[in-house]
This record gives sequence, C-alpha cells and structure tokens, in this order.
Amino acid sequence: MRPRASPVLRPAGFDPHGAGPVLALFPQLVVSGIATGMLYALIALSMTVGYRATTVVNFGHGDMVMAGAYAVFVLLGSGMPFLPAMVLALALLFAFGVLTQRVFMQPIIAGPHLSLAIMALSIGYAVRGGARLEWGSEVTTLTRPYPQDAFMVGSVVFTTDDLVISGVVLGLLLALFVVFHLTPIGRLIQAIFQSQRGAALVGINVHAFHGMMWGAGAALGAAGGVLLALIVPLSPDMGVWTLLRGFAAMTLGGFGSLHGAVIGGLLLGIMEKLLGFYVSTVFIDITAYLVTILVLLIRPSGLFGRQASIRV
Amino acid sequence: MPEEMLVAKGVEAGYPNKQILFGVDFSVGRSEVVALLGANGSGKSTALNTISGFVRPLAGSIRFDGAEIAGMPPHQIFRRGVIQVSQARDLFPDMTVEENLLLGAWVRGGETATLLEGLYRSFPRLAERKTQMVRLMSGGEQQMVAIGRALMGRPKILLLDEPSGGLAPTFVNEIAAIIATLKKTGIAMVIIEQNIKLALSVADRFLILRDGRVTQRHDISAGAADEKEIVRSIYL
Repeated sequence: MRPRASPVLRPAGFDPHGAGPVLALFPQLVVSGIATGMLYALIALSMTVGYRATTVVNFGHGDMVMAGAYAVFVLLGSGMPFLPAMVLALALLFAFGVLTQRVFMQPIIAGPHLSLAIMALSIGYAVRGGARLEWGSEVTTLTRPYPQDAFMVGSVVFTTDDLVISGVVLGLLLALFVVFHLTPIGRLIQAIFQSQRGAALVGINVHAFHGMMWGAGAALGAAGGVLLALIVPLSPDMGVWTLLRGFAAMTLGGFGSLHGAVIGGLLLGIMEKLLGFYVSTVFIDITAYLVTILVLLIRPSGLFGRQASIRV
Repeated sequence: MPEEMLVAKGVEAGYPNKQILFGVDFSVGRSEVVALLGANGSGKSTALNTISGFVRPLAGSIRFDGAEIAGMPPHQIFRRGVIQVSQARDLFPDMTVEENLLLGAWVRGGETATLLEGLYRSFPRLAERKTQMVRLMSGGEQQMVAIGRALMGRPKILLLDEPSGGLAPTFVNEIAAIIATLKKTGIAMVIIEQNIKLALSVADRFLILRDGRVTQRHDISAGAADEKEIVRSIYL
C-alpha cells in the first residue's frame, strides 16, 4: 500500500533528461520522507508506549491503527464533523486498548512469551475479521477536512497532506513531551517505566497502569490510522502495512526508547523515499523489512535502546 | 507483648509448582521489631512478599490492624501502611534522590515538604545528594534512599528485606544505626537479615524459618540470645 500520488509540480529548472535532477530532487525526497516518517514515528511511538508499560510487543497493534481509521470513517458517515469524530474515535480506541489489556493480556501476563504474542496477534486478527465482515475487500477513502493543494518553497513541493500530517504529529509529540517531562503524572509514568516493582513498592496500581498505557498506545495508534487514511485508501488489511513500518521504526530507534521511536520513524520514512528513487521503487515496499533485518543483526539495541530482554 | 498489629496464621504460599511456606504463624506488636532468620531458601523473603501482596497466599490468614489483607494486591496493602523495602531496592535509577523520595509519598500523601525536611534531618547524606541520579550512587547510599522512600510513605509497619545485604562494613554500621533510630521512633518492623549481630541488636523477638516452617521463636527481652546457637539452628 502506497500513499496516493501528490499533485505533480516540478521545481523550476527541472530537466528530467539531465544529470541535475538526480541531485536536485534530494531535498524534495527528504521533505516527502519526513512527512511519511512522521506517520511512522507516531505509530512506532504508540507501539512503544504499550511496550514500555508491559514489556509485551503488541503484534495486533496495526489492527488498532486500522480500527481508528474505520471508527472515524463510520462517525463521519453518521454526519459528525471531522474533528469531533477523530476525538471520539481516539476515546473509543483508548477504551478498547484498556479493555483488551485487562481482559485478555493481564490474566496471562506471567505466562510464556509465545502465549502473549499469539494472544495479541489473535486479538488483531479478530478486529481485522470484524472489519472484513462489514466492509469486505471494499476500498474506501476518508474525505479530507481540508483542501488538497500543493505549493513550492524554493525548489521543494509541499502538499497540504504533508503539512497536516507533520503538524498533527508534531502537536501530539509536543503534548506528550509536556505530559512526560513537565507534569507530576509524567514523572510517575517515567518512574513506572524505570521500575515496575519499585512503583508497586510505593503503592502504585501497576496493573491498572498497564491497561491505561495500552489504551494510550491504541489511541495514539488510532490517531496515526486517521492521518494515514488521509493519504491511503482504507482497507481492513492496512494494519499489516502499519505494523511492519512501526516495528521497523521501533527496531531502528531502539526497543523501548520513546525518542528512538520518533527518530527511527523519521529515518525510515526518509530512507524509503531515497532508496525508492535512487535505487529502485521496489525499496519503497521492502525498506522496512531490510531495516528490521539489518538492525537486528548488526545492532539489536537500535540507535537509542538499551540491552534488555523483551517479551514478544 | 504489645498489642498485636500484624498477625499471620497458617500462611502457605509459593510460586507456580513450588510451595515455599507451609503454615507459617507469627505476629508483630505495635512498635515491635521482629527478625526473621533462616538460611537461603528457607522462605524469609517469600514470607515478606506474601505480607506485602507480591506473592498470593495459597492458604492462611494475614490480618493487619484487625483487617484481613491476605491476597490483596500490593497497592491496597501499601495504602494501609504496610511498606516494604525490597532486597533489590527497586529504586527509580534514572531519577534523582529527591524524585525517588517524593514518589514514596505519592500515594499516601501527607505533608510532603515536612516529611522530606524531617527525612533530610535524619539522613543528612541524602540531603547532600538530593540532586544526584540514583544509579550513580553506591549500594549503601541506594539502600538509604530505599529506606527513605519507604519512610516517605508514612509506614505503620516497615518490612525490611536484607537491608545490609551486599554492603561494605561502614555502610552496614550506618544502616544498623538507622534501623536503631527508626526503632526509637516507634515504627513496627519485620526485618530479614543474614547479619545476625545486626538483627539481634535491633529485634525484640526473632523467629527461625527452616524449609518454610517456623522452627524456633525467641523473645530477646526474656534473655540474651546465644549467637552461635542461633547460627547452629539456622544452618545445621
């Protein structure tokens, strides 16, 4: 699945047959890569929040992203304006994330890692199955709540999609930064991330916290799903695509690192565009796999991760 | 014996496929210090973790201030004032000393500033290091932070799991002095210690656990304990 093509605008002096275009397009590719990477960053961050809380990788997370996009689609269909629909969809996915963790994951949290992985995967498949029942292989789209346009700054084309996605993700990242670093609840979350046993020793209900963080992860993922649905068609299988990108960005940034997830997402977005243009368009689809394989082989802790055992 | 505050009766507990405690009975009175002694694997830490809710009992009763707490989750037991200092300390390593201490008061609240001020008076070393990251501190200093963090929760009873474990001798003396001071303030304590001299210096009574059962009980106020005899009872 690839983003829908942006309106074609060519930079001044662009000559498709000359040697110049190869380098002239570099800034354009980086800008487009950053916009896509912002989306990956948000999805990787949403996966990391759940992982940091429970040390369980949610292999069903991609389907939460898909569910968020469909929730907005349904609410828009009922006549609700875009912004309230998005807020309500995020709230619904938060509740669904909490419920999933408390009802399905918590009872088996002390069990074998494989059981947790299969449970998360099965919940994801069940959500996907539900979406297929309703929409089958029907491909639908979300109507943008803003005009689709493009304009140039110097030799670089910016689309409104790029700006909206980057703006919303930056806004969410800023809000998360403020909550994590400048509020008492953020200090508490950081403390629990650092030592769950320590948190229990100071009287924190760590199980409830696990649920809240899975909820927060699902809501953030849903935000990613809504933004993604602005540039790609909606389909019940879009979760697979997002999970792979999110997983690759997490791996690159370092498992469990919040800022690593953001930087990993941005780098993945840029790499996809550069390799897709300079090497082969095939790389747009396989960069995420290659990054995952290479990072796990060469530097399993990623760019900012610490060596730690993880529960899958 | 002072009024009973914590009463454990017939406690059986353990982990999946491995029962550790087999009908443990003991009680702790108000302002009393009880030491649990025993060899490695005798069930001392499991007993403490069962009281604080980290291990679910299989059978038996644990009453605190007259209410049944057996099987409650740790955060509910903490709220009643039963606060543990774990063997691994379990501090927040990438936070400062003061941040760790303040988190100790997060749930039970109280006059946090006054609590902190009082704590710094009792632990001047923590006041000197209050802006230091905990992971950069020595084991002895970390143990002080762990005890300080527990005190910020205003405990009615403090459960200390090997407070001198793995510490340099100078720190062992310092920790022993801290525990002796705490005893004077009237906080009830259950203390697990491999350092028998330290345990006997602060305890009013001690129990010896062996293979998950209480094999001996001794009231120190009733007569001086023979340290060599205790060691023989534990290990032979």
